[in-house]
Amino acid sequence: MSRLRKGVRALFERTENGIERVFGPSWNPMRQLGALGWLLFWIITASGLYLYIFFDTGIDQAYQSVQALTHEQWWAGGIMRSVHRYASDALVVVALVHLVREIAFDRFHGPQWFAWITGLLVLGFVYVCGITGYWMVWDQLAQYVAVTTSEWLDRVPVFAKPIARNFLADEYLSGRFFTLMAYVHIAAPLLMLLFMWIHIARYAEARVTTARGLAWTAVGALLSVSLLRPAVSQAPADLDRVPTEIGLDWFYLPLYPLLDRWGGTTVWFIVLAVGIVVALLPWIRGTKPAPVAVIHLDNCNGCGRCVDDCPFGAITLVPRSDGAPFAQQAEVNSDRCVSCGICVGACPTATPFRQASALTPGIELPDESLMRLRDEVTTRAATLAGQQRVLVFACRHGAPVADSASLCAIDVPCVGMVPPPFLDFVLARKLAEGVMLAGCRECDCYHRLGDRWSEERIAATRDPRLRERVARERVGVSWAGLKQIAARSADVEKFQTGLFPGSHARRGRLNAWRRVPERSAPWWRILGQIVVYAFAGVALAYCSVAPHHQTLGPDQAVISLSFSHAGRLKQPCKPLSPDEMARLPPNMRRPRNCPRERWPIEVELFVNAERVYAGTHSPAGLWDDGPSTVYERFRVPAGPKTLTVKLRNSGRQEGFDFMRTAAIVLEPNQNLVIDFRAEAGGFSVR
Amino acid sequence: MKLLEWQDKFSVGVPEVDHEHRELIRLINSLHESLAQPQSAERIRSALGEIHAGISAHFALEEKNMQSWRYPDYADHKRDHESLLDELGDLMDASEHEAPVDPHAFGAKLNAWFETHFQTHDARLHSYLEKTRAVDQVRNET
Repeated sequence: MSRLRKGVRALFERTENGIERVFGPSWNPMRQLGALGWLLFWIITASGLYLYIFFDTGIDQAYQSVQALTHEQWWAGGIMRSVHRYASDALVVVALVHLVREIAFDRFHGPQWFAWITGLLVLGFVYVCGITGYWMVWDQLAQYVAVTTSEWLDRVPVFAKPIARNFLADEYLSGRFFTLMAYVHIAAPLLMLLFMWIHIARYAEARVTTARGLAWTAVGALLSVSLLRPAVSQAPADLDRVPTEIGLDWFYLPLYPLLDRWGGTTVWFIVLAVGIVVALLPWIRGTKPAPVAVIHLDNCNGCGRCVDDCPFGAITLVPRSDGAPFAQQAEVNSDRCVSCGICVGACPTATPFRQASALTPGIELPDESLMRLRDEVTTRAATLAGQQRVLVFACRHGAPVADSASLCAIDVPCVGMVPPPFLDFVLARKLAEGVMLAGCRECDCYHRLGDRWSEERIAATRDPRLRERVARERVGVSWAGLKQIAARSADVEKFQTGLFPGSHARRGRLNAWRRVPERSAPWWRILGQIVVYAFAGVALAYCSVAPHHQTLGPDQAVISLSFSHAGRLKQPCKPLSPDEMARLPPNMRRPRNCPRERWPIEVELFVNAERVYAGTHSPAGLWDDGPSTVYERFRVPAGPKTLTVKLRNSGRQEGFDFMRTAAIVLEPNQNLVIDFRAEAGGFSVR
Repeated sequence: MKLLEWQDKFSVGVPEVDHEHRELIRLINSLHESLAQPQSAERIRSALGEIHAGISAHFALEEKNMQSWRYPDYADHKRDHESLLDELGDLMDASEHEAPVDPHAFGAKLNAWFETHFQTHDARLHSYLEKTRAVDQVRNET
């Protein structure tokens, strides 16, 4: 399992290396999938609001109004509709890639279960929104989605009458149904927004906006796809016919062909089983989690810097508990701490210059004590030789750093764990000529904010600041993902060879350590982005309608046998004698006793004298006093048929209470409905 | 002789800040004493390390408090903290590499920046707090 995960992670890393080359680190969409999801959500909301203005509810009005806005105002409504569809498709892709990436990077265990579960709920809502959206258009795809979805929902025994009965024929369907759909299609995104908000609630500085350039180019790409390949309706729905070949949106409806093939119950089991396993993933793990940060009250005065820097909102200030004359102290919430150590890097008492007292900062990771880190720094540095010695604090989640005679790497859970005085210490004690922080991929810290805080601490814009007089040209940073090994060694080598041997005095400017950001993208990068967007656009436009799904053979028709009918009462009413009445409690006395229990309905269907169905349908209700409901559909070859349908509603041993025989000619794709209404004289075939 | 003596006028009237001030004065005095003794380079270094940790933590706490009080001279005060920390770093650098420290010059330097900081920045903070507290009192009474 973990090997598979590592393999997928390597795949992600390599893909992202390529994407980063084209998009640059700050535009790289792979490191802002969540924010990209938010962007798409807002695009879908904005376009949806516009579409809502022109959408009419009603069986014919729904289709006509969508046709009108698509074609009569293709330059506005049509584009909006296409953007609405393609952004929704992109949202599914972004959400699923986000999910798989978090698994691959192992960021769903322990405290991250919260985001995992809420994220799954958001994904569920994405699907509800998408499916109801396709339903509202009332074209053939909508008809197929309506029938298949409602048949699937009917497998859950909570609805008294099958919802699918609404879609037997036009006269069963109410225009109000489209009002309901519009309502669900608006309510679901609102709930989704709530869960999106909860999803990120536990993260400090959660990213909900993408890099501006990425947002604009993505919008541009969506508009281009919408113009080149507008989203259109399929043929209008006709409940008397079964749609045979449908352009399926494979992002939202991949389960529907399975529903056709395996039936609703099996798919329910599959969905539930997969859902439960995926939901439980955070609690399945092979290795024991690292112990969470602990507070050393002797060294904590409640200054709150760890609280400010924790990316996971795991630390709070609480009233002092040890009687020391301070108002507050830090407290770690072990349910949220991921043991990244960024809090240690923020603690003002984490200075390696302390000698008389033990080097215990106010907050510390039990497995990564600073005392040991300092020992490692001094002993490893002592083995270095040459005039350009470099000591690297290397993050475990980024590209590795190779040791050499003049360079050694010290492993830390996150570069954000290294307190700035440690950098000062290495240079002041002349343990090396240069000191470096080697972290994860640029703008993609495994622990979210370690890279940003480290840079700001070195730039002296965030507390604790690296002392101003520390020579910044002797402090280096390198950001490289797990598989950016060449980039890492290039960074390290460039830093090392650029070191001026000898004097440790400050020479350059305060921000000399910073890389100069690129002003504009070179032409091949712009070209690369166009290629990536074009590929994504083609994939979106294609998979949202193709390959087509064949629901019914060309020479087949469907017979729908469906009705709701209450069987006869099992026992007739019986008058109660005065004695019997007296024995009843006063509030229950009545002149006649009428047992409510009804007979089940038995029904049989013959096609050309061959029995295709025989079933017994129990009455609904806890006391078996409700109507029995039948909803069965049969695929049969088209052509002339003799249908015989029989019904027994009185529990009799032999013979039937109702029977009808009809000679019909089934046209290809016809949906023939056999209904039963006792008050209208029995079965109807049409 | 002690280099610095705690005086009530140093008090800013916040128990945790005053407590740390007293603690820092104790640390600085112990450093001063160790300067007077011979063969003390290691001890100086170690005492400076303690002061570095103590002062860093103290400044961090004071800064948090100033921000929560919306102290208008925060930026100024903060800058002084940073330069004090820088100077302390310079002293530590000097104790690492340079010839034996002249205890008197050293003591005078420490004394100077502590006294100045107490008498200017901390005193200003003190009067600000008194003022706001008085305002709060009036507000509570009415």
